[in-house]
Amino acid sequence: MGIKGLTKLLADNAPKSMKEQKFESYFGRKIAIDASMSIYQFLIVVGRTGMETLTNEAGEVTSHLQGMFNRTIRLLEAGIKPVYVFDGQPPDLKKQELAKRFSKREDATKDLSTAIEAGDKESIEKFSKRTVKVTKQHNEDCKRLLRLMGVPIIEAPCEAEAECAALCKSDKVYAVASEDMDSLTFGAPRFLRHLMDPSSKKIPVMEFEIAKVLEELEFTMDQFIDLCILCGCDYCDSIKGIGGQTALKLIRQYGCIENMLENINRERYQIPEDWPYQEARRLFKEPMVSVDIPELKWTSPDEEGLGNFLVKENGFNQDRVTKAIEKIKAAKNKSSQGRLESFFKPVVSTSTPLKRKEKGCKLGTPQLTLKSSMFTIQVSSRSSFHIGSSKLPRPGCQFGYHNALSLTSCFST
Amino acid sequence: MLELRLVQGSLLKKVLEAIRELVNDANFDCSATGFSLQAMDSSHVALVALLLRSEGFEHYRCDRNLSMGMNLNNMAKMLRCAGNDDIITLKADDGSDTVTFMFESPNQDKIADFEMKLMDIDSEHLGIPDAEYQAIVKMPAAEFARICKDLSSIGDTVVISVTKEGVKFSTAGDIGTANIVCRQNKTVDKPEEATIIEMQEPVSLTFALRYMNSFTKATPLSETVTISLSSELPVVVEYKIAEMGYIRFYLAPKIEEDEEDMKS
Repeated sequence: MGIKGLTKLLADNAPKSMKEQKFESYFGRKIAIDASMSIYQFLIVVGRTGMETLTNEAGEVTSHLQGMFNRTIRLLEAGIKPVYVFDGQPPDLKKQELAKRFSKREDATKDLSTAIEAGDKESIEKFSKRTVKVTKQHNEDCKRLLRLMGVPIIEAPCEAEAECAALCKSDKVYAVASEDMDSLTFGAPRFLRHLMDPSSKKIPVMEFEIAKVLEELEFTMDQFIDLCILCGCDYCDSIKGIGGQTALKLIRQYGCIENMLENINRERYQIPEDWPYQEARRLFKEPMVSVDIPELKWTSPDEEGLGNFLVKENGFNQDRVTKAIEKIKAAKNKSSQGRLESFFKPVVSTSTPLKRKEKGCKLGTPQLTLKSSMFTIQVSSRSSFHIGSSKLPRPGCQFGYHNALSLTSCFST
Repeated sequence: MLELRLVQGSLLKKVLEAIRELVNDANFDCSATGFSLQAMDSSHVALVALLLRSEGFEHYRCDRNLSMGMNLNNMAKMLRCAGNDDIITLKADDGSDTVTFMFESPNQDKIADFEMKLMDIDSEHLGIPDAEYQAIVKMPAAEFARICKDLSSIGDTVVISVTKEGVKFSTAGDIGTANIVCRQNKTVDKPEEATIIEMQEPVSLTFALRYMNSFTKATPLSETVTISLSSELPVVVEYKIAEMGYIRFYLAPKIEEDEEDMKS
């Protein structure tokens, strides 16, 4: 799924491109969310114990509805305006990848039945999670739910990721939220991870900016796409022996895949015979996306409709749904709050931080300088003792001295 | 090297109490002009701008423009250890990762050093353009605090409208509505009790009371508050700090959303 090892690669080589943000800071922002990815997560996680998941009276799974309902309300309550983007037809190249996933699911189903026979609870849970598949019905259920909640949805002609990126590029939304790193490869200017994680996990949102990624790697967008293809994407196989770091080195050295293929040691790296990297590149660069997107609108929830759908058809608790609807209505009021950035623009601060930024923290030298700076503090706190010369013992000075001592012992370890 | 000596130490204590509810971590900037801070709340709706001019300090030494990242709650904890009459000196060395607060009692018989760890804070600085405001209201700070407190027991938002008649604060909630009108009143014994309204044109804006209430934590700093309103801009709520500078709060207004399909 996505681009293999890209997160780590960026953390190591372009740390400034990613920053942790508070969930609340996306207040008032429109955010495009890859719906299929979220539904998949909900089916795996929400309300699962072993093989059992949430179901309605007819025995149909409702985990995706529960997840979608609760998480969307959480977004709305934070003043975020979500727009869900659903997958359309996958591109031909992805079919190979999809076939692989299909066979993996087949294997998992077989493993699951053996596990059930053996009564191994841990394996039952593990394999039953792997058999999860997002069906058309799941998608349709969620679309219906979202429409009733007054949240806009978009059906992408092809890949949802690409559509999200296009929405973000054309400034229709502030950022794209997904767990798939290929949003960046599709060129989404701002990409968020962990936005849809449950609040109980307390994982901060990780924001990536493509402009900063390119700046730090000193790459063009085309080179970044080539890097992602080499790392391994959904559209074509990667080359055996080339992982993230090697891919980065190769693109830095050769500039593009064509040039690399001409110069690379073919005995060391076995390039697949029929390697459709050009096609993959085209899919990333010019993906099929909607040309004309109607204006996105967030409307009031359809209370009666939600009651019918969730309580009557899917066995949700009446009280909980009523309370949730109240939350949606209250949140609507909140989302009309403006943000300061729409009035004032950021400027560059002229001051330099007193505390020097520590890079890497692995080398010995910064620690040394820290030590010496601790020493000067010690001296200065003593000098303050001399300035205010008087006969009385100084509790303040003793405190300062003791403090400096304990800090030094801290740093010497 | 940085050394700032503030005789009226309680001022710094009050400043911290005024902003720590709104902002958790912030960079303090020091330059030849003074000691300043600009920070937004986590949802980027409100901004606080503080300036304490260098002239207001008894001793002010700042060799180059510096910024120091501090956790405001921790800083407030340390400042709370200073007596109200204490002289506060703020010290930091180049390249150090700590700042020292020194508290001296007025008769010099007690000196306390508190050293606090600094932090790395990535914060965005916003450029705030000088603007002409459509209406400027100056009123007693305690009065404004009272109004905000009272209204927030009834509703979540306040509509501030300025007309020729005066300034009106109104709210609506589940239990009912409230309207408070303050008229221009210059004929008072003390100038700080006056309510003065300068209006170019009538203006009406809606704000979240939660933020307004948090701004009024600055009331102990100043007798009067100045509220500047323009339909195109965030409101500015300013508390002047005598002979030193100011603390200004900016709050983005609520936006009327045109919704065609309002289902009843």
